Formats: sequence, structure tokens, C-alpha cells
Amino acid sequence: MTDTPPPLLVAEHLTKRYRGVLALDDVSFAIGEGITGLLGENGAGKSTAIRIFLGLIPPTSGTALALGRSTSDALDVRARLGYMPEHDCLPSQLSAAEFLTHMAEVSGLPPSAARTRAADTLRHTGLFEERYRPIGGYSTGMKQRVKLAQALVHDPAFVFLDEPTAGLDPAGREEMLALIRKTHRDFGISVLMSSHLMADVERTCDRIVVFRSGRLVQSGELTTFTGDTATVFLEVDSNRDNLAAALERRGVAVSDAGGGLTIEGPDESVYDAIRDALVEAEAPLRRMAPRRRALADLFEATAGTSPAGRS
Amino acid sequence: MAESVQAGRAPGTVFDIGYRSYAGRREGRGRGRIAVFKNGVRTALGLGRGGRAKILPWSFLAILTGIALIMVLIAGAATRFAGPAGAAKMDLPSHVDYYGIASILLFVFAALVAPELLCRDRRERTINLYLVRPLTGTDYIAARYAAGLAVMLTAVWLPQIILFLGLTFDAAEPVAYLRANWLDVPRFLLAGLVLATFTTGLALLTAAFTDRRAYASVFLVGLFIITAPFTAGLASDIQGPAGQWLSMFNLTNIPMHVNDIIFGEVSDVTKDAPAGKLPAAVLVGWYLAWTIVPGLVLWARYRRLSP
Repeated sequence: MTDTPPPLLVAEHLTKRYRGVLALDDVSFAIGEGITGLLGENGAGKSTAIRIFLGLIPPTSGTALALGRSTSDALDVRARLGYMPEHDCLPSQLSAAEFLTHMAEVSGLPPSAARTRAADTLRHTGLFEERYRPIGGYSTGMKQRVKLAQALVHDPAFVFLDEPTAGLDPAGREEMLALIRKTHRDFGISVLMSSHLMADVERTCDRIVVFRSGRLVQSGELTTFTGDTATVFLEVDSNRDNLAAALERRGVAVSDAGGGLTIEGPDESVYDAIRDALVEAEAPLRRMAPRRRALADLFEATAGTSPAGRS
Repeated sequence: MAESVQAGRAPGTVFDIGYRSYAGRREGRGRGRIAVFKNGVRTALGLGRGGRAKILPWSFLAILTGIALIMVLIAGAATRFAGPAGAAKMDLPSHVDYYGIASILLFVFAALVAPELLCRDRRERTINLYLVRPLTGTDYIAARYAAGLAVMLTAVWLPQIILFLGLTFDAAEPVAYLRANWLDVPRFLLAGLVLATFTTGLALLTAAFTDRRAYASVFLVGLFIITAPFTAGLASDIQGPAGQWLSMFNLTNIPMHVNDIIFGEVSDVTKDAPAGKLPAAVLVGWYLAWTIVPGLVLWARYRRLSP
């Protein structure tokens, strides 16, 4: 028998209503250790859920637990939570070293420990060399790192990241995603990453929680949503049209997709037909593999359906 | 063996010791409040910032202290040239008059300090980072108020302390001067507290309603400076009880009337103010209203603040 670690965040029938607007509607889920992606379009309820877990707003009904404690005990719990907002929030005239030391103290660390933690965190986020420069002179990528660093400086058990790659160029985005993975794998800090960029979530997260219009659409391990499909993708170097014709003559339905051919739900016998068609069409095979689902497919598939657990 | 390992290393190699979790003491909300207070004092005085951030606050502190030094020099010169008895007859400005003389400068100083404490955090949205930590809006504003008050107390007390030390050591018999005038110390400390709480509350309240420091500063300077001649002129035209009450709205005089009550004598700036003839309880009550109400409004504005 293995001991399963208790979930870090638990929502049980969580509902939040703002003056007649239902922001969260009877949402229940649990988030454990690791990196979790929180997905949903604008107004889906992502920020409301984060604000409830941080104890900034009370739920209208239901229960929210963070680190095993009710979010009504928010002040104590917040000492072990970190938050990186999406918007700008950094003091332009302060150096990163002074700002992080100050934020560590505000989180309750004694001054000497705060200074040490600030230096360590700046080193881990790649800002150590620039730590005495005023933040106002930093690039967008460096500012995003300072935002992440201030969320980590007090060594939280759990950190909320709101659109952490917003405004970053491709290289900066890669670096930020690598830092987020490092946050969990090397620092042991679990992460809830709110994003509308599915590629970022696919590449970074272990599991996802998907909201739509305040309701929970999906939650679970990322691999269950992005696993192999029953579609086979064929890519050849040349003679693609000849190959398609050869396959159709053998009764195999094919369609063009992304520079290759796809075959829906093939059984074992189809693979023989593919082999023979490749020989007949003299098409050099570059790649044949099951097609993986993308998170975008999940959104498309659930666009017109009811949220999970509801009819 | 060890030597051979050492020989293989490049000189000055820094080893990455990896991430170290923090297992030390967490001091919670109290430490957070102290941190916001400390940061407020540093922000107000430009400490840890560039030279430009220091110019205004330190210039004002220098000028306020300079006024006290000039008063000491004048008192010293008068004693030397006219003798102690002659100097006493001159009725030279002293502790009771200092706050009146320096009041406009102190109000302008408060108008510069308060926006630094509140506007920047809201404009740059840094306040959102405070409110997601173990700190409430009440904690934040209380710590910022305490920081503003500490800076204002420095500005009002430091010159008075210098003035007292100067007058004491400049006296022909310092010990005798000390025995005769020691009560001035609690008086100027209390009167300074009265002035500092009044200016801090009003200045922070104004700063709480805009995130632009310049707007807050200009509004405050205008409020303090314009109300003085406006109300004084109208009060002298109207006269009678209505004039007295109108004179109460001279914002710079509100703490000065309490200053006069504390020292038991009328200072130069309030001697012509019609409100000075009102009962002491009314003047103190009016001062308390102008100090407590802004504080409560400020608290109400921040206590439910969330990112």
C-alpha cells in the first residue's frame, strides 16, 4: 500500500457570485504536487478561483482548502503561498535585491534570512549579476523573472502563476517555461499555472484543470488528454498523391493533413495495405506514427458540450 | 589525492550548491508590518534610492533644522549684546513659536512625503504583492501611517531638540536654564506629536485618492497654503462668532491652537486668529475631528482593498 500525499488545493462545491454574475458554479477538484495548468478563456473563473485560494475573497458557498487549511485562515496560509500576477507590479526605482529582500520580510522572514533568500532566489532565476540595478531598467523577460522570484523568495509550498509567459518573445518564453519546470523539479515547489497558451501548458504541466463559464470542464493528468489517438499520420518525402491513390485503390480512406496523410482508426490489416501502397507509389517513408491529441482538440471537442459532471 | 583534485580545478570556481529550502523561523504578520514600516521610512527619505530621491526630503529637513539653528544664533547674539535680562525683554521666538514659524514648510514636507508612501505602490500596482502576503489592508495602511508619522516626527522634533540644546548651552548658566525651562521638552514633544498626526492624516488621506504623486502634492500644498489667507481674510471681514468659526477652517492654524494650549501662551502665528478666543475644549475637539476622521476614512479605504 502506497501513501498518497494529500492534495495541496481542494475545492468542494465552490461557488462564487458577484452581484448576480456567477463567476464559479459548484466547482469541485483537487490539486496535488506537481505543475498543474489552469486553462480557460477570459471570464472562465480562473482568477476567481486563485483569489479564493489566496483568501482574498470568500466563496459564496462551498469549501476551499489550501495546504490543508481553510482559506478563511488566509493570513497564516499565505505565508506558505506564492503569487505571480500577470500584470506589471514591480517598483521601478528599487533594485531587484532590495525588492526581494523586502518581499521576503513582508512574508515573515527575519531580515538576515530575507537577505540570504533574496540572493539565492535571484541566483536561481538568473538575475544575480543584475541584482543591484533598478528594476525600471530591466527588459520584459527580466521583469517576468523578478515577478517569479518575488513569488518564490519566501520558499512557499505552492505558487500560483498567472500567465507567466505573457509578453515574452520566443526565447524568453522558453526560459520562463524552463524556470517553471525547475521550480517544481529542483525546488520542490508545486505550481498552478494559469494560461491561455495551450502549447505552454502542454510542455510544462503534469495535469490540467479546465474551466468554461465558471464551471469545471475537465481535470486530470495531462497525458490522458494528449495521449495517442486512433489516427495514423503518414509523411513521405515525395509521391504523396500517388501514395494516396494507391491507398484508396486498396479501400483505405485517407485525408490530407499538415503536409502528410492521415488514416482514421486503422486495424491491423491496413498496415499491410500501407506497406504495399508505399512500394507501389515509390514514396520514400519519412514518418509513420500515431497522431497525438493537442489540448486545442480538447477545447474544440468540449466547445458545445456541457461541463463535466453535468447533463 | 586531495592535492590532485585541487590541481584539476580552475582557480575561483564557484560551485552551485543547488536550491536550499528555508526551514528557519517565520515571524508572520508582525514582521510584515515592520517591513512595510521600514520600507515606508526609506521611501519617504529616499534611502536606498538614487540621489534625486533624496534631494527634496533632506533639503526640507536641512531647512527646518536651519531655522532652529538661526533661532539659537539670534538668541545667543541677543544674550551677548543685551545681556540675559535684555534678551528676555526682546521676547525672541522660542519653542512655542517654532511650529508656527515652520508650519508652512512642515505642511509642504508632508505633501511631499505622503504621496511617496501611497501613490507609487498603487500606480505601479506593487500593493497587490503586499495583499497576497500574510498582511491585511489594515496592516498595510497602519504601517504606512506609522512610517509617515515617524518621518514627520523627525521633522518636527529634531529642530526643537536642536533649539533646546542650543538655548541651554548658549545660556550663561546652562544648569539654571535647564531647571527653569525643562517643561518645554514635554511641551514641544506633545505639540510636535499634535502637528505630526494632523499633517500625516490629512496628507495620507489625499494621497489615498490618487495614484499620481504630483496631483496629491499640488492639491495638499494648495489646501494648506490657500486656506490660510482665504479664511483669515474672510474671518476678519465678518468678525463675531461667525468669523471665529470661519477662522477655524484655517487648516494651518488648527494644530497651532492646540500648540498654544499646550505651551500655555499664544504664539506669533495665532495671536490675530479669531478662533484663538474660542474655548480650549472646542479647539482641541476640532483638532481631534480633523485628525481622527481622516484616519478613519483612510482605514475604510484600505481595509477592504484586494488585488
